[in-house]
Parts: sequence; C-alpha cells; structure tokens
Amino acid sequence: MAKDFKALLEREYIVLDGAMGTMLQAAGMKIGEIPEILNIENPQLLISIHEKYLNAGADILYTNTFGANSYKLLDCGYGVEELVIAGVENARKAVENVKPEALVALDIGPIGQLLEPTGTLCFEEAYEMYAEIVEAGSKAGADVIVFETMTDLLDIKAAVLAAKEHSSLPIMCTMTFESNMRTFTGCMIPSMALTLKGLGVDALGVNCSLGPKELEPVIEELSKWSDKPLIVKPNAGLPDPKTNEYNVTAVQFAEYMKDLRKYGIKIFGGCCGTNPEFIEALSNMLKVNGNKVTKQKPTIPAAICSATKVVSVTEPRIIGERINPTGKKLFKEALVKGDIDYILNQALEQVQAGADILDVNVGLPGIDEKEMMITVVKALQSIVDVPLQIDSTIPEVLDAALRVYNGKPIVNSVNGEEESLNTILPLVKKYGAAVVGLTLDKDGIPKKAEDRFVIAKKIVDRAVQFGIPREDVYIDCLTLTASAEQEGVVETLKAVNRVKTELGLKTVLGVSNISFGLPNRVLVNHIFLTMALENGLDLPIINPNIEEMTGAVRAFKLLKGYDKNSVDFIRHYAGKTVSKIVVDSPKAVDNVNAEATLNIDVNSMHESKLEGDKLKLYSAVLSGLKKEGADYTAKLLEQVEAMEVINEVLIPALDKIGDDFEKGTLFLPQLIMSASVAQSAFEVIKNYMANSNAAPVSKGKIVIATVKGDVHDIGKNIVKVLLENYGYEVIDLGKDVPYQKVVDAIIEHDAKLVGLSALMTTTLVSMKETIQLIHDNHLDCKIMVGGAVLTPEYAEEIHADFYSKDAKESVDIAKKVLG
Amino acid sequence: MITESLKLEKLNRKEALRYLGYSGEKLDKTIEHLIDICEEKVLTSAKPRYVYKVCNIMTTESEINKNHGIMVEGCNLVLTGESIKKHLKGCDMAVLMAVTLSDSIDRLIRITQVEDMAKAVIVDSLSSVAVEQVCDKVEHMIRQAYPDKYQTFRFGIGYGDLSILLQKDFLNALNAPKRIGLNVNASCMLTPTKSVTAIIGLSDNPIEKTARGCQTCNMREQCNIRQKGGHCNG
Repeated sequence: MAKDFKALLEREYIVLDGAMGTMLQAAGMKIGEIPEILNIENPQLLISIHEKYLNAGADILYTNTFGANSYKLLDCGYGVEELVIAGVENARKAVENVKPEALVALDIGPIGQLLEPTGTLCFEEAYEMYAEIVEAGSKAGADVIVFETMTDLLDIKAAVLAAKEHSSLPIMCTMTFESNMRTFTGCMIPSMALTLKGLGVDALGVNCSLGPKELEPVIEELSKWSDKPLIVKPNAGLPDPKTNEYNVTAVQFAEYMKDLRKYGIKIFGGCCGTNPEFIEALSNMLKVNGNKVTKQKPTIPAAICSATKVVSVTEPRIIGERINPTGKKLFKEALVKGDIDYILNQALEQVQAGADILDVNVGLPGIDEKEMMITVVKALQSIVDVPLQIDSTIPEVLDAALRVYNGKPIVNSVNGEEESLNTILPLVKKYGAAVVGLTLDKDGIPKKAEDRFVIAKKIVDRAVQFGIPREDVYIDCLTLTASAEQEGVVETLKAVNRVKTELGLKTVLGVSNISFGLPNRVLVNHIFLTMALENGLDLPIINPNIEEMTGAVRAFKLLKGYDKNSVDFIRHYAGKTVSKIVVDSPKAVDNVNAEATLNIDVNSMHESKLEGDKLKLYSAVLSGLKKEGADYTAKLLEQVEAMEVINEVLIPALDKIGDDFEKGTLFLPQLIMSASVAQSAFEVIKNYMANSNAAPVSKGKIVIATVKGDVHDIGKNIVKVLLENYGYEVIDLGKDVPYQKVVDAIIEHDAKLVGLSALMTTTLVSMKETIQLIHDNHLDCKIMVGGAVLTPEYAEEIHADFYSKDAKESVDIAKKVLG
Repeated sequence: MITESLKLEKLNRKEALRYLGYSGEKLDKTIEHLIDICEEKVLTSAKPRYVYKVCNIMTTESEINKNHGIMVEGCNLVLTGESIKKHLKGCDMAVLMAVTLSDSIDRLIRITQVEDMAKAVIVDSLSSVAVEQVCDKVEHMIRQAYPDKYQTFRFGIGYGDLSILLQKDFLNALNAPKRIGLNVNASCMLTPTKSVTAIIGLSDNPIEKTARGCQTCNMREQCNIRQKGGHCNG
C-alpha cells in the first residue's frame, strides 16, 4: 500500500532530497556512464546515499531511475524493469532503515531524444517508454511518481498521460527553465502551469538549471499561474567556469530558499551540486522558520495556451474559422490529397491577419478524420504559436487530437443533450481543455434567449460536476441567419448578454452565419460583430483575413480601453492605407493595375517570342515577382485556355531559369523565387479550374519523402516546389517516413515515380531499405534519389533508377519518366 | 564544464551565399532585400548555446583492447580512428565542445518553408553560417582561457574516420542534453539540427599544420563548393 502523498501535502512543508548524480560522481562514477546500472551492481552505495538524505531531513526520496528508459539503457546489458525495480527497492530499504514514514518517488527524466517535429521521436513512442517505467515503478511499490528536468511540454504531457493511464499514483512534475523564463524548447511558465493543472497533476514546479537566487523570477511567475502545491528544487547556484564547482554553500542555499517561501512553496529540495549538507541546512531552516508565509491563492485568468503562447480570455480574442472544409472546394481537395501545406498556409495567413486562436475542423466524408486531425494538429503546432480549437462532432477524433495537442486547447463543442454532455465533458476534463458549450439540445435551438440561457446553465453545471472549472466553459448562444429569422438576432444578443452578466461565463459566437443569403455580407457581419461585442462576446469566430472584421475587433478593444494607449491599434494602422477586402477568386485581381508594378526590362526577354500578357507573365516568373505572376495569370485565363498558359508561358520560363541555374548564372534562391512565382500562378489556375468545374491539371503523380530517421527535409521540399511547377502532382510524405508508408503511398496513388532523399551516411541505410521494400512489392514505379552524401555510384548500388544531383535534375527525370 | 548562451550580431553573408552556390554574380535588389529579412529573422530566432569541457587525454595502443583509441579522462568516452589520432598528435589535452542555435531555428526554418521556399533556403544557409560563427566565438574563448597552449582546428564528430556513431556518447560526456538541450536521434543526427560537435586539441608545442580540407573530408565527392573549384576551409 503506497503511502499517502496527498496527506503529506497537508503539512506546512515537505523536504525532498538533493542531487544523485553529484553524489555518484563523488563516489567515482565517470561522466557519461549509466548511473542506473549501480542500482543492481552497487545497491549498497545507493542505499547509503538515500540514507544520508533521510538523515538530513528528506521526507521524500527520488529513486535513482532518472534515465531508466529503453532509449538510454539500450545496449547497457540491463532492462528497464529490473533497473527500475532495483532503484525503488534501494530507496525502500533506506526508508525502512532510517525513516519509515518517508515516501519513495519514482524519478523519471526526459527520454534523451527530442520529440517531433525537431526530433524524430513521436508522441506515441515517448508515451510507451514512459508507460514502461511507470508500470515497473508502481509494481515495485513507489508512493508517488515524479517527472523532472523536463523541457518539452508535449514530452511531459506524454509522461503524465502514461502515468495516469498505467498507475493510480499521485504525480509531481517539475520543468527546467532558463534565465529567459523559458525552457530550451521555448515553453513558457504559464503554459506549463495551465497544461499540467488541466492534466490533473498533484504538484508542480521547477528544478535544475539555475540556483535558488536566479530562479526567483521563475518561481514568482509560476506562483501567479498555479494554485497547485509548488515544488522548487534548484541547483547549488551556478558552476564556476574554471573549477566547475557550484558557487553556493549549503548555508547560503538555505538562506535563499528562506526568501523563496513568500511565493507559497510547499515542497523544497536540491538539484545538481547539492548534497546531504544542503538538505540538512534546508530542513533546519524550515524547522526554525516554519513555512506559514501566507500567500493568497492567485486569481488565474480564463486562459488557453500552446507551449509558447498564452491567450487569456480577459478581452475579446479572435478565433480564425478558415481551417474548415465546409463550402470550400480547394480545402476539400487538399484534405483528400493530404496536402498539409495548403492547410498550414491557411493557418499562417490567419495568424498574420490577427487571429489569436485557430479553429481546426478537418471533417470530410471519405477521409479518416481521426488520422487527418492528428496529422494536422501536429503540423500546425510545429509552425504556429496560437492555441487551437479542436472542432469535431466525433468523440474519438476529439480524444485523438486532445492527446497530441501541446498545451491547453478549446474543444468545439458540447451541447445540452445528455449524450453530448456525457461523452464530451469527460474528455474535456481528462485532457484539461476549455470547452465551447452550444445552447441547443435534442429539441434544437430554442427561439428565445431565456431558453438558451437555461441550456447554458445546464451545461456549466454539468461541467462543474465533472470537475471542469467554470472559467473553462465558453458558451455559444448561436447565431441564426438574419434573412431567415430576423427576430432571432436580438434573441442571440440577449442570450449572450445574460450568459455573460448572470452566469459570469465567457462567450463565443460564430459570426459569419448572420448574413447568409444577404448581399454585402461583410457589412452585415461586422456590424453584428460589433453589436455582439458590446453585449459581451469574448471569442468571435470569424474570417480574420477580412480586414473589416479584424479591424472591428481592434477598434472595439481600443474604444473599450482594453488596448491601453491604443498601442496595438496604432501599430496596425499608423501610416497604412487600409487595403480592400481580399476575396480568393481570380476575378478580384482583375482591377489591379499590374502594369504599373511590373518593373522589369522586357527587352531582355526578347528571346521568348511571347507578347502581351504572356510576355509579362513570362517576365514576372523570370524576375521572381510573385504578385504580378498571379495577376497576369488571372488576366490570361480570361483570354486563353489554362493549358496554354502552362505550356507556352510557365514551363518555358521555368526551363529558362533551370538552364541558367545549371550554367551557374543564377543561384538557388533565385531559382526558387521564380519557382514560387510559377507556384502562385498555378494557384490561380487551380482556383479558376475549381470554380469552373474543370478537371484539375496534372502531368502525373510523384511520391516524395525524406527517409526514416532523417529530419533534414529542405532539399526534398525544394524538389517539391519545382516538380509542382511543372504541373506534376506531388504527394509529399514529409520527413522521417517509415518504409512501408512510402510503399503504401505509391500503391494508393498509383504513382510511377518516387523521389527519396537522405542527408546523412547513417540514413542512407533507410534509403536502401525503402528501395528494397519497393522492389520486394514489385511496384511499377521508378525511383529517383538525392541528398548531400549520395553519389551516383551508391544510387546504383542500392538499385535506384535515377540519381538526381539537384532539384533541377529531378524535373528532368520526371520529364523522362512521366513526360 | 562551461555552458553559456551568447549573442550573434552579424552573420557572414558571403559565406552563406557561397553555401547556396553563389559564385560572385551581381545580386539583384530583391535578393539583397530577402537576405536582409532572413538575416534579421535568424538573428532574432537563434538562441545560441554552447558547452565545452577541457580534458586530459591519453592514447591507448593496446591491441587487446578493441576500443583502443584516445581516452578522455573523467568521461566514458574513447575516440577511435586514425584521423582523430592524427588530429590530436602531440596534444595532452582536448576540448570537447557542442554548440546549438536551439529549437527556435528549426521552427523558423519550418515556418519559412511554408511561407516561401526561397526565404527558407536563405534562412537555412544563414543558420549554418551562424552556428559556425558561434563555434568561432567559443574557440576564441578557449584560446583566451588557455593562452599558453597551442590549439588545433575544430575536428567534427563524423569527420574523417571518427565515427558519427560516437555522437550520443560525446553529448553525454558533455551532459549536453541537459546543459544546452542538444540531443541526437537514433540516426545520430543532432537535434536541434543547427548544431555542431567538435574536438580541439591543446598542446604545449606548436602544432604541425595538417592539411585540413578536401583530402580527409567525407563530403569531397559531393561537395558543391569543391566541384566549382572552391574550398570551404572547414
């Protein structure tokens, strides 16, 4: 029976132990050796160190299992389970010998590999590795689990979920922050506090990296964002550059820790450089001074976050609605093709336009929504900082997305129906998310504000019963279409007002629906938005790319005094002429006077024999002018067929650029700039074709991938841009791609050409294996390979059909294979 | 062991352009402007961190011990192969160093790849230059810390016949995952990717100039710069 950590928390303070590595090194262990092996090979040493800490006053011992994971223990001769069990047993013995009431904490550090996207370890693999340690540790009789020295919020989330799903032990978590108040991976202090609280850990705090003095700002910030018991386990100051000794003595350490008590710390300990002397001084300091420093519990604002950005809902925040296939042909096409870059572009565009949060909906009949949601969430959080709102009607999809989400997201949505409440709210609780509550139930959307208010109340009451904090419930009073139900507009606004003032909840509203079926929708939308804001709307869901909408929110915030001294407003608008609405149809660029902006020497293009707009487009590609390229393409499409634009203008222009690149008169960025112009021209053509229901332009499909184990994918991405610009349809599998996935994609898309890239000698092996698997499957598909360390000879040796020395050559190969 | 973060003020654009295959033609304004933007982005995003450690070294010649090579005192690390032996000839100490621009640069490269590939290749190239510049700074610090010692050039892990498989042990010897957030993946690739690990020999006597460059370089067959008749001095 595990000892009761929660009862221990009732005490005024708790003392942890000090460093283990420092003690082991002092006993002769070399740096770089695996400390956990000593659990079996020299248990006596471990027991004696543990005993010293107990004698010094520690209430909780950390087991010597910091790096006892299957990655770090690989080839060491021992398995995870045996070393973890031995580690727990050593601590247990020390406890029995010296201080039977003390607790044993199963100590778990990071795996030692970076998680995706920068590393190659995926969330699910990390989860499995943590689960293995947790199972062994609980079996061996640990009283509590502690994750420490973590720097990646997603990594610690995997760890906490593994602990929750594989044991019932309480969980302590500490992360390591640098003096810039961030971890190595950029995680912020409030992001950690919000996310871990949501996941239901029992205590949280910081350890390592800095001394107690330097950690003060970190602890101060953390104390503002967390009402959980706080843990502080600093180093013995900073290491001296010459001697490598830490610069704080045991007495000084205890003095600094004394000062830190004012931040409401509950659990005190020491990390690198500390020893039993430090813990004794610390313990004595607490004995003498107590820890009765009364600090008021902080008022934590309603907030959501990613690892690197916190959005508190203390003023109106924009939720971008564009990542949603409803009514968008190109978006649907992108989902079907798995074109993640299209979605990422939508995300970047909205963030640049002013979105604070992005709604993510990838539901489309015929695709695997769960897999797509996981892929998109992972991809989005690899490039945008803003928190996400996970939008799906399927609980399994929500569950999958909530697992891999790095931070505290919003779930969209739950409603007043019993089934919805009972399936969605437990998920929201488990993953610590915020949730949108729709004021509808089995009878549909009530006409009257009073009835929607009643449903709102029911939702929040049920949420609270499930243990979800009130402030994490955002109520959507639902916008009805003004043209169909004019009287409903006022009811919605009234409901928003009542939910805000009477229930004190945050409100959310999809705005654009109001104008459905009306002319001048933007006008109606932004006036309605302003009315709703005045009635207490916190989270408008809008298209942030429409300047009038985003502008209305900015102006509202200025007029209401949220935007202090109008700083934000002035930053956005001072000295700028406000641009007109951007609509993504080729017609919209019609009136742009492209001639005026195209500033190139047309005479130098005489060899092309083109004239008029064709020559201008050709010139734009050669000069790297993206906007002009798009404009002239749109103009040309009104005069000639799309294929004519491609074959007579775009491809010859790209060929010219390619030749110049080969000759060395152009260098890589110029080649790519021209390719990007062609890409924007293709976008216009694609849009045009989609709008006119014509068949899409494709010269054949090519699957490309950076092989398993390899994370350098920029070369592969350059190849992709060039191939697409020659009209090939590229199925990009990304980086670190498993062998089988390549084979599956070739079969699924019936591709006749596959391109593989590898950067390192160590990953050429993966390239070889991938090719082998393609051949084993007898696929009728040519293979081209490329990458820095590759040679034509090696390409032949591993049975590739083509060696491509650069991106340009990959196009030549594609022409040869696909025409 | 010394770990610190430091700041870069300016990047060697000429070198970055050379990585991109530029060979002296006149740059147009658009490219110049693009490079300006990219340089600023790299400088703001990079969070350069380094860690180094100076150790005594000992060459073991025992034929029985299959791990024979250069033992690094106090660490669980043996440097194997002929190239490192040659590199550290006459040295009694070696500096193990690791440098990274951190995860934020990987993120920046990911973002620019979605936004604009032309920008992405420039950012990528400038970042490669930046990490070398950080190494130069660290090397300079070491020179100041050991004014009486002669110093070899930086010998990278994976260079010559010094196996890249040592990468994990090398980082552990420096405690680099914990100190500067630098890790390797299962393919021995450094992550964050804009990172360098290297060994510098220290000697009491002047160091014989060994040919650094193409002859011993693993990239000699594929190198763009060499194909164009150039030399990277690295």
